Amino acid sequence: MSMFLEVDHIEKVFPLPNGRHYKALSTIALNVRKGEFISLIGHSGCGKSTLLNIVAGLERPSTGGVVLEGRQVKGAGPDRMVVFQNYSLLPWKTVQQNIALGVNTALKHLPKGERRSIVEHYVDLVGLRAAVHKFPHELSGGMKQRVAIARALAIRPKLLLLDEPFGALDALTRGGLQDQLMKILTETKATCIMVTHDVDEAVLLSDRIVMLTNGPASYIGQILEVPIPRPRQRMDVVNHPSYYGLRSEILYFLNQQKLQKKRKRQQPLTISRHGLEKVNLNLGFVPLTDCAPLVVAKEQGFFAKHGLAEVTLSREPSWKTVLEGVTTGRLDAAQMVAGMPLAMTIGLQDKAPVPMVISLILSRNGNAITLSKDLYEKGVRTLADFKQYLSQPNVTPPTLGMVHPASMHNLMLRYWLAAGGIDPDRDLTLKVVPPPEMVANLRAGEIDGYCVGEPWNSHAVKEGLGFVITHDLELWPGQPEKVLGMREDWADQHPQTQVALVKALLEACQYCDDPRNRNQILTWLCLPQYVGAAAEVIQPGFLRAYDRGTPAQPQVLPRYNQFFVSQANFPDRVEGLWILTQLARWGLVPFPRNWIEVLDQVRRPEMFAQAAQELGLPGIGPDRHQFQLFDGMIFNPDDPMGYLDRLAIKRDIQIQEVLVGASAMAEGRSETIAA
Amino acid sequence: MAVSSYRSPVSSRFFLTKWLGPERLRKITTSSIAIFIVLGIWQLLCMGKDPALPPPLTVLTDTWGLIIDPFFNNGGTDVGLFWQILASLKRVAIGFSLAAITGIAVGILIGTSRLIYDALDPIFQVLRTVPPLAWLPISLAAFKDNEPSSIFVIFMTAIWPIVINTAVGVQQLPQDYKNVARVLKLSRADYFTNILLPATVPYVFTGLRIGIGLSWLAIVAAEMLVPGVGIGYFIWDSWTSSLISEIILALLYVGLVGLLLDKLVASIGRLLTPEEQK
Repeated sequence: MSMFLEVDHIEKVFPLPNGRHYKALSTIALNVRKGEFISLIGHSGCGKSTLLNIVAGLERPSTGGVVLEGRQVKGAGPDRMVVFQNYSLLPWKTVQQNIALGVNTALKHLPKGERRSIVEHYVDLVGLRAAVHKFPHELSGGMKQRVAIARALAIRPKLLLLDEPFGALDALTRGGLQDQLMKILTETKATCIMVTHDVDEAVLLSDRIVMLTNGPASYIGQILEVPIPRPRQRMDVVNHPSYYGLRSEILYFLNQQKLQKKRKRQQPLTISRHGLEKVNLNLGFVPLTDCAPLVVAKEQGFFAKHGLAEVTLSREPSWKTVLEGVTTGRLDAAQMVAGMPLAMTIGLQDKAPVPMVISLILSRNGNAITLSKDLYEKGVRTLADFKQYLSQPNVTPPTLGMVHPASMHNLMLRYWLAAGGIDPDRDLTLKVVPPPEMVANLRAGEIDGYCVGEPWNSHAVKEGLGFVITHDLELWPGQPEKVLGMREDWADQHPQTQVALVKALLEACQYCDDPRNRNQILTWLCLPQYVGAAAEVIQPGFLRAYDRGTPAQPQVLPRYNQFFVSQANFPDRVEGLWILTQLARWGLVPFPRNWIEVLDQVRRPEMFAQAAQELGLPGIGPDRHQFQLFDGMIFNPDDPMGYLDRLAIKRDIQIQEVLVGASAMAEGRSETIAA
Repeated sequence: MAVSSYRSPVSSRFFLTKWLGPERLRKITTSSIAIFIVLGIWQLLCMGKDPALPPPLTVLTDTWGLIIDPFFNNGGTDVGLFWQILASLKRVAIGFSLAAITGIAVGILIGTSRLIYDALDPIFQVLRTVPPLAWLPISLAAFKDNEPSSIFVIFMTAIWPIVINTAVGVQQLPQDYKNVARVLKLSRADYFTNILLPATVPYVFTGLRIGIGLSWLAIVAAEMLVPGVGIGYFIWDSWTSSLISEIILALLYVGLVGLLLDKLVASIGRLLTPEEQK
């Protein structure tokens, strides 16, 4: 089915008086469904109004075009009515005459009486009956905007375009008008595109929020779906579990845009010192208990000790933003979920590959699978119970949350479900939810359980919302969890910095696994710039006995968060191979036929060994070995294909040759050969 | 009388102050005092025997006949001041109306089309600076008649400010209104009557106000050179007959009529301009 509105790769270039050109918009492509409400958000000057004017036909794109219901937009017309930023009412006409001008022009074909009743209807719809014969100068700003909306709606446009419609109004009037607009749109089912700079307004009104990057050459940086059901009430929206997540994601995007602009202004970027290529590092982390090594390295001074004088820890709202930060170079390196660097190198879900390197594992274990109290009350205690629950007739397939497709959480959750005979794609739904938003989603009933790192499991247990059905120590003790990931080209340009970074983090990991230090670490983690959660939800498993939220006694799990002991930090390639099999098993990336080369490229034990030896630590890992998870199926690193074959539940597995390293970068994307 | 005696003196005084307003009353008082001082000085300066100019009191006594009977008509140019002024006003009315119609039309034309503006603007800039009276000989040569010649002078005097102000008004038409017209796809006629015309009204009236002032200035000068009934020729005639007091009276009337014309156009403009554009 063709789309209602297609914005087809628009570019807009303005000629400047000095003969140069200013590129305002760069390849904007957007499809809009009928009845959809789209917000365009971005900093001022990002070209969002230009884009709206192009859709309206008031400006022409330099290249590309706009297609409305299969027909190309050639100029302005009443089928795409605009509500202008400054109302644009005609001051010499009364409220009624202003509305009537549009109706009489655009709906000429209707008899006079009918046109008059349309005008009257819309006057009433926006509640301006009392002011119908007043002139614009006798009206308040809010009333003027209501006239403008009535004028726009009265001609029954196919598409309503709103250019910062409530920008000039005070908060109270704005709120009232937003509610009114929502009500009217529910009645008229009009399709809308709105330009705004108000984050709350965008979340309240939109089905999708299109975020534009800063100009020049703005492009669509990100599109957010707003999953809040309609009709919406303001308070329902604010209380919806996704509200704060959406809000923070938009604010994060806008802040990043602002920072980027600032960064562009303040060159140089790199400070070199002490024989290190760069000492002002920007490292990303996600607020979780196992970000401890980064926090410790910073707070306990391990970064400084190894010459990294100016390390900034950047608190990221989700793994997606970590991925984006490292890809764009905003972050020098980051704490990552273990599967991410491998998936990025191959090219996760058809994205262009970004060759990555990991030189150190930061933590092992620390994850658990939490299910809702509701499922507990329905008798789900074990995986077998869960399978039985799902095989009942008429059971609604539950939705489970995980943090990123390439995370260990996704892979372990799927492995656990599949081992119990549950197909994670067919028998239930898996959904990406950023870690800090898990509990809110569970509370709202958006998801029925999740797999996430601490403290977000203990948080649900503490609030009585869920129970821990299983955790890493039961599934795969010593499972690699977080790694230090960086782009390969960055690593190649900063070899000394990388060694210093690994040394600092290795010492931090050692510090983390000394039980005497855990109280101190807890204090740091509770700080708002790190995890910012209450101490009592971080303690279980980290410092105290782990409470599963069941009648069972809380259990002391010494290695629930494992940072250093048992060669925890060695970037073992065998474990990497297991991750590759799982990523391929669920169709997330093709399995690389040249997996030895891929692992060689991504996991760099030699760099780890150098750092460890300089610290006087053994830089070696475990011997090449077979291992098994809780279900007992042997993983033989010499026969990954056989392992994949033996797994019962899986998707169609593609096997491809993956170009890695410099050649992949040169190609721009992985040139793959079908197996 | 019955009505006025019906009111108590207090309420009538109150009514008067309310109508005048304290501010207006103060202004009238001060300006009256100033006028009396000026007249007094003039009287003192021209008190001697055979002064170059008659003092105000002499002017009053000399022209008393003209003042009390402005409506006499002895045929030819020997008519009362009312008829003289009316004749001048008639010429101004015809010349100015022609100038307004042509000026607004041309102004809209050059305001809408950049091409026509670029083509005609230099010509207008040159013609605009030609003094009104300089048009008289050429128009006399062309029309070979006094009446159309003076009207032509009025026309040429009044048209430039009207053309230029209208053109500016059209050019300054806010993009917002143009966008409204484009989105609604207004027809040319609808655009003209609903948007272009009302939006340029304030500019047009600025032009008209300047135009009427200049016309009145020009007519007095033009009539001095063209014999016939009219306040300008009356002044010239009085000068040739050495009736200085009559000149002074006529000048006073010319000034008052000029003021009234200006106020008239301004108030029509105010009436037609929407509140938000003022």
